[in-house]
Formats: sequence, structure tokens, C-alpha cells
Amino acid sequence: MPPSRRAILSLYQSTLRTSKSFSSYNFRNYFIRRAKGTFRAIQAESDPARVQSLYSEAVQELTVLRRSAIVNQLYGGWRLAVEDQKPERFRSDN
Amino acid sequence: MLSRISRAASRGPSSKVSHTVTGYRSRRGIVQPSGADRASVVDLPSTYKDESHFTPRADMLGFKLGMPQREESLKEKVRPIYLDMQATTPVDPRVLDAMLPYLTDQYGNPHSRTHAYGWEAEQAVEDARKHVADLIAADPKEIIFTSGATETNNMAIKGVARFHKEKKKHVITTQTEHKCVLDSCRKLGEEGFDITYLPVQTNGVISLEELEAAIRPDTSLVSIMTVNNETGVIQPIKEIGALLRKHRGIYFHTDAAQAVGKIPVDVNEMNVDIMSISGHKLYGPKGVGVAYVRRRPRVRLEPILNGGGQERGLRSGTLPTALAVGIGEAARIAKKEMAVSTVSSFVLDDDYARSPFHASCYPSDLPFIQLSSGNDFRAGRDRAHVDALSKRLIEGINANVEHVVRNGDVAGYPGCINLSFSYVEGESLLMALKDIALSSGSACTSASLEPSYVLRALGAAEDMAHSSLRFGLGRFTTEAEVDFVIQQIVRTVHRLREMSPLWEMVQEGIDINSIDWSQSHN
Ligand SMILES: Cc1ncc(COP(=O)(O)O)c(C=O)c1O
Repeated sequence: MPPSRRAILSLYQSTLRTSKSFSSYNFRNYFIRRAKGTFRAIQAESDPARVQSLYSEAVQELTVLRRSAIVNQLYGGWRLAVEDQKPERFRSDN
Repeated sequence: MLSRISRAASRGPSSKVSHTVTGYRSRRGIVQPSGADRASVVDLPSTYKDESHFTPRADMLGFKLGMPQREESLKEKVRPIYLDMQATTPVDPRVLDAMLPYLTDQYGNPHSRTHAYGWEAEQAVEDARKHVADLIAADPKEIIFTSGATETNNMAIKGVARFHKEKKKHVITTQTEHKCVLDSCRKLGEEGFDITYLPVQTNGVISLEELEAAIRPDTSLVSIMTVNNETGVIQPIKEIGALLRKHRGIYFHTDAAQAVGKIPVDVNEMNVDIMSISGHKLYGPKGVGVAYVRRRPRVRLEPILNGGGQERGLRSGTLPTALAVGIGEAARIAKKEMAVSTVSSFVLDDDYARSPFHASCYPSDLPFIQLSSGNDFRAGRDRAHVDALSKRLIEGINANVEHVVRNGDVAGYPGCINLSFSYVEGESLLMALKDIALSSGSACTSASLEPSYVLRALGAAEDMAHSSLRFGLGRFTTEAEVDFVIQQIVRTVHRLREMSPLWEMVQEGIDINSIDWSQSHN
């Protein structure tokens, strides 16, 4: 049974929210970019079996991402010179 | 030539050497020996209290080492952006997540056979070995964990040469290798081996004809790096491997520290016998590396570390479980990020995927990134990202600054761009760019004011080698950072050139090279 559209969307939102909670500028931006890419690939996939496997992979990755984000919030997050340029652009919402 | 020898000879106590060394010295002077006489013991200053005892050294180019305390407000300190991915890469948070269990509760010794602590650690290490093997298409049994590419290079070069020293006395390498390869070869030279340092062409690539001509019946080892750490030049490893296969009994070692995880590497396709990999160049931890040592046909080498016989007896010592897991996970992620998915799955433009299910952003017209090499190799997302950034950086700088030369082959690895800015001194440029962590070459040579031996081997003029900067792009570099760099570089180069009398003369149309400088001094 391939995951429902709703389930995929909800997983995407959680992944994106977790990615945005990284304190370090580079990691935050990478995981946001990666989440978008991963879910566009799922969206573009027509084979239900492939969708299922991509979906379970993404579920797995979200658990890793959640733990990594917590560690990163503890130790990361000095501001980079490039962030000062556009201070309002990459604020996380936590 | 004479003055060169005497300068080299007056350098230190190690000049009291046999005639083979003198022969080597007169041929090349590119490595300094790293003997014990060069190590120095520094006493702690009497004022030592805590880690704030650091004082800026002269070679820190005027930067201050302000050790930020975590308790301070994080917002106050602004850190430079990091563009030195050839020196080291940040540890991927997913790699750290895989390592942490082995730094906390699962602390067993992977060689303990009598209890669960040992078994679980061993399982983790073997999984990691498999991930590394998969990345380079090897067998897990051929993977040896070491402390880094430096150790692997030492082990490979000294190990193979010494094992075969009864019959074979000749080793071939190139002039643009990493210091640890050159210094290992220099050491072998002191032991009586003959070393050939192949020159490179002006694009940094070796010539296969010259390599073939250098092969002798008593050649035991050829060591040529896959991707150069200063210029990003990619050597034709596959062709070299095929060439060396035709000669029986020559082992082929390649230092792939800068290549693995970045360009596709297949040890069988390349006919490589020994390969060096470093964890901290592929988003893994520092202090761990891998030696790939082929089993069929078997590569015989003399181990440097003797002891408990771990790692097929080639590298004794308890394996650092967490570090091995780290390089394994880094390799697994690298392989995944290098895989080509059916859809091009990277996003350049934020608006593309504000919502992935929005009808207007369906991926039908994704931007296609042309590789600098122009071949039809389809890139995974890591590579596509680096390609796009590299193109953006080069075009951005080209559009705004003139007299910029790219050092090395344009078909090299795009994540390593070495540019020379004429009429600007590299060190002044670095100093002015305090918001960007860049280097003018490899980490070990950038502190000295000597121009890079790699660039000199490419035939770069002294002044161009002095004005070079290396831009290292990677997985975590953002477009905004590249734009920031372009803006800063353009501003700084223009400012420095305005202060330069040479630049003024160039603007007036005087050919600098035609001026006889010595005359104006007398
Ligand atoms: C090509 C090359 N070989 C070897 C090394 C050394 O690697 P490690 O730091 O793992 O010893 C480096 C990095 O400095 C490198 O770029």
C-alpha cells in the first residue's frame, strides 16, 4: 500500500520543520534544500513500489535528522558573516 | 644549480647524508624533511591558566584567536564563512549521529570476542567496512582502517618498497603529490631507493608517455594521486592503471583522499592496488582513514605498526570504533548522494519548491547544469550542487575582475578552484578577506610564504603562484555564500590593485615583463 498523499505531505512538513531547527547556517540550509529535493523526487515518482520505498527511507531519515538537530542546537549556531547580510532570511521558528 | 644545493645543504643537520640523498636533493628540492630535529617542544607560558592562553602567531596573518565561550551570546561573534573544503570538511550531522552511540554506551573493544560489548562494536566496524568498500566497489576484506590518508600513504609507499627491496629499488611518483607522499619517497631515497618524480604538463596532468618511459624493470611502485588537493586536477587513473597492468610486478598506489565521495571511484575499473582515503575529507571525522589493499592479485607490503595483528596484520592496534563508524556512515551517505536519481532532485531556486505539491513547480523544466568537463556523466545531487556553485563562482568573478588565471585543468574537480589574481599578493588578499576562511594552497604550506610547489610544478610564474587562492566548495556551501565571496573578492581585488604601482603601469599599457628591475635599483 503506497502512502497517501496526505501522509507524504505531512512527512514533508515535519522534515522541513526539523531542517529549519538546525542552528548552524550551513547544515540548516543543506537539510532544507535536501528535504525539498527528496520530496520532489517522491512526487515525481509514478511507480507505487518506489514511492513506498522512498517514503520509508524518508521516515527513517527524519528520525536521524531529529536527533541531529537537537545536538546541533546544543553545540552549533555561531553566526556567519554571510548571515549578517540578510538577518531576517534564515531565522528558524523554534 | 650550485646555489640551490648549497642552500638545501645548509638547511639543517639532516644534510649529513649519503650520496643518494645528495643526488635526490640536486634533482628536486620540493620537500623538507620531517625528522625529529624539526619538531619543537614549546613550553607553556608562565601565565598559563586555561585555554585562553593562545596568542596569535605570526603565521596567523594577523587574525586573533578569540576562543568564544558557549555561554556568551552567540549573536555577538561573527564567524567567517568556510570555503576551505580541501583542508577539511565539516562532520555531517548524520555522521555524528551514527558515531555518538559508540562514544557513550556502546564502548566495547571491537576485538573482544567474549562478550556483547565486543560483538556489537565489531558488528558496527564491519558494517562500516562494508559501506566504505561499497563506495569504491571493493570487497570489505580489502579495507584496512588507519588513522588517515597520511598513515595510509606512508604504509603503502614504504611498505611496498621495503617489502620488495631485495629485487626492486625504484619508485615513481609525481611532483604535485601531497607532502606526505613526497616525504615518504624522500625517506625511501635516504634508504637507497631510486625515486622518479614525474613532471606534470601545464594543466597539471601527467603524460602517459613520460610515465611509460620512466618505468624500469626494477620499478616496484607507482604512486599518483587521483585528485590534487591544491588545484583539483584529476589524473587519468583509469588509463594509468591499464598501462601499469601491462607491466607485471608493478604496484599502483593512488592517494584518493580528495576524490573518494566526490568523483566516482572504482578500484577495479581503475586497476588500483592500494588506495588512500581520509575520513575528514568526505564529511567524516578526523583521525581516521582507510587503506584499500587489493587481495587478488595479492599486494604484499611490510606493515609499519606491528602488534596484535589486527586488520590482516597490516595495521595493528585497537580500532577506534566510533571513528570507523563515522567514516563508514560518511561513505554510505556519499554513495547515496552521488547516486543519480530518476529525477534531478536538487533545487537551485527557493521558489521552485515552496510547496512540492504545488502544480506550478512540477519538475519539468529543471535547470540542467553543464559540467565543466562537458562530458555526459550524470551527476548525483552532491556533485550537481558543487557544479552549480562552481560555475556561479567562476562566472561571477570572471564578469567582474580581469587578469584572473585558473590554475590547473579546467576539467578538474569543480569543488576545488585555484585562481591567481595578477598584481595582487595572495597573502594581502587573504588578510583583507577576513570574513572568508580560504587558503592559498594546502594547509601545510599556506603558513609559509613560499609559493606552492604544486603551482610551480605546473609552470606557474613565481608571482602568479604567490597570488593564488583556493576556493573549496562542498555539500554544505550555499549559493548565498558564493555570492558573498564574489562580492568580497571583487571589492578587495579592486582596492588592492588600486594601491599597486604595478597595476597602474599595466593600466598605462606598460609590459611589466619587459622592465629590467635590477637596473632601476643600481
Ligand atoms: C591528497 C591528500 N592526501 C593526504 C592528505 C592527508 O590526509 P590526513 O589528514 O587524513 O592524514 C590530504 C589532506 O591534507 C590530502 O589532501
